[in-house]
Amino acid sequence: MIELLNVKKVFNPGTVNENVAIKGISLKINQYDFITVIGSNGAGKSTMLNLISGSYIPDVGSIFINDKDVSKYPNYQRASYIGQVFQDPLSGTAGSLTIEENLAIALKRGKKRGLGLGVKGADREFFREKLSQLGLGLENRLKDRVGLLSGGQRQAVTLLMATMVKPEILLLDEHTAALDPKTAAKIIELTEYFVNEYRLTVLMVTHNMRQALSLGNRTIMMHEGEIILDISSPERDQLEVKDLLEMFARVRGEDIVDDKLLLA
Amino acid sequence: MSYYALLGALEQGLVYGIMSLGVYITFRVLDFPDLSVDGTFPLGASIAAILITNNFNPYLASLFALLAGAFAGIITGVLNTKLKILNLLSGILVMIALYSVNIRIMGQPNTALLGYDTVFTPFENFFGLERFVIAPIFFVFVIVILVIFVVWFLHTDIGLSMRATGDNPKMVRAQGVNDKFMVILGLAFSNGLVALSGSFVAQSQGSADVNMGIGTIVAGLASVILGEAFLEGRSVFRAVVSVIIGSTIYRLAIAVALSFKIGNFQLNPSDLNLITAFIVTFALISPNIKKFIRVRS
Repeated sequence: MIELLNVKKVFNPGTVNENVAIKGISLKINQYDFITVIGSNGAGKSTMLNLISGSYIPDVGSIFINDKDVSKYPNYQRASYIGQVFQDPLSGTAGSLTIEENLAIALKRGKKRGLGLGVKGADREFFREKLSQLGLGLENRLKDRVGLLSGGQRQAVTLLMATMVKPEILLLDEHTAALDPKTAAKIIELTEYFVNEYRLTVLMVTHNMRQALSLGNRTIMMHEGEIILDISSPERDQLEVKDLLEMFARVRGEDIVDDKLLLA
Repeated sequence: MSYYALLGALEQGLVYGIMSLGVYITFRVLDFPDLSVDGTFPLGASIAAILITNNFNPYLASLFALLAGAFAGIITGVLNTKLKILNLLSGILVMIALYSVNIRIMGQPNTALLGYDTVFTPFENFFGLERFVIAPIFFVFVIVILVIFVVWFLHTDIGLSMRATGDNPKMVRAQGVNDKFMVILGLAFSNGLVALSGSFVAQSQGSADVNMGIGTIVAGLASVILGEAFLEGRSVFRAVVSVIIGSTIYRLAIAVALSFKIGNFQLNPSDLNLITAFIVTFALISPNIKKFIRVRS
């Protein structure tokens, strides 16, 4: 279980560029939750994910993973709990290393790394089996450099790497946004497969409203660093895309009023 | 070119190859342009020289040189990762600081090693051969061991993490690797090799000089780039071997250039930097030349 308690994050504090990215949010992510996160640009979605992953350390508030306070842990110390897939398909893998070497790095997530051989003979069989689950034929290309793969293939490998050691939570930051529609559909299919296969807890940022409602069991809407909607099944099942759009319009409308007041 | 000059160039290619291995680790593996090697190379020489002239075992002296280099590398790494100083600048700071340190270590700007035992002495006595024959053979053995060691290391769990750190630090952090630690470790490893190379150079040429490190980074880069031009291929083994080949070709090319004579015109050692610039330029454009020839034919 992951819990955010009154978490706040300010960028460039005390300067003209001061930006309150997260205003003080509390969120309880239950085990096996699959939460989709929506919100306009600058709403704080990615910042929230980065706070959970440890890429950012909160200014105020605490983050608990399985009742352990990890607020001050840098990301590499939290990595044993967290699997991550980024928006940029190049971010999750090292292009100059081979597929098997990338997988070997992922296999040691949260474990001590020593001077043993990185890729052992026994690992290869395991890697082949895992890669065949992707259905991309990568199981025959263990010694190919990852840089030779397409964006979609790299994202699929990243997904595999994020889940190979079961994480407490899988963080997906618009992980299909940079892919063509067909590849994006394939990655979503794989995401659902891995989530069901390993019974994962997921937090997924998306810009696709339909995806936000069709995937998972719970949806969060963020706006200006706050969570303005948190709805779970079965109530969520009643919601339609146009309802979400209406809600967006409403919060944006308030923005316009604010702007008018400012400009008047 | 004479037989002596050829053997000399081979010996230099091999002993500076150790240094180039270090430059390969920072420049190619970690993607860290580390200029501290210009200081750690004479640091290794200074440490070895002062210990040897105080009748230390030359092997022990070389080991201490390696450790001192590694320590200097750690300082560069800490300046960059912990104190957030730009990588180029961290290296430069350590490089200039070491200039003073090296003079302090020796108590003077240079130290002669003539008449003292060196790492070659046991072999000279055993085989009854001259140093200019023994040294290249000795360095071949050292290089073979180091190449095996470096290739093995880069395939261990830590080695994989280090290679990935140079490639994609965001990814290694997400996989639970402390990327800063990897940078520091890589710099220690690299500068250890560079200092070891410096200690061997001092022992083979019979003196250590505080200015012997000038241009180390350039020679190292030239070797790495030349090697890549001659031995294409992406595997770690090929890359590491190519560094040694590059270093040897570089020294041979310089020896050939220096023995070059047209009429009364002859290149001399002060033209070395110009020669180096030509060699590196040639190596850098060679992939394009190769492609051009392939397309034409």
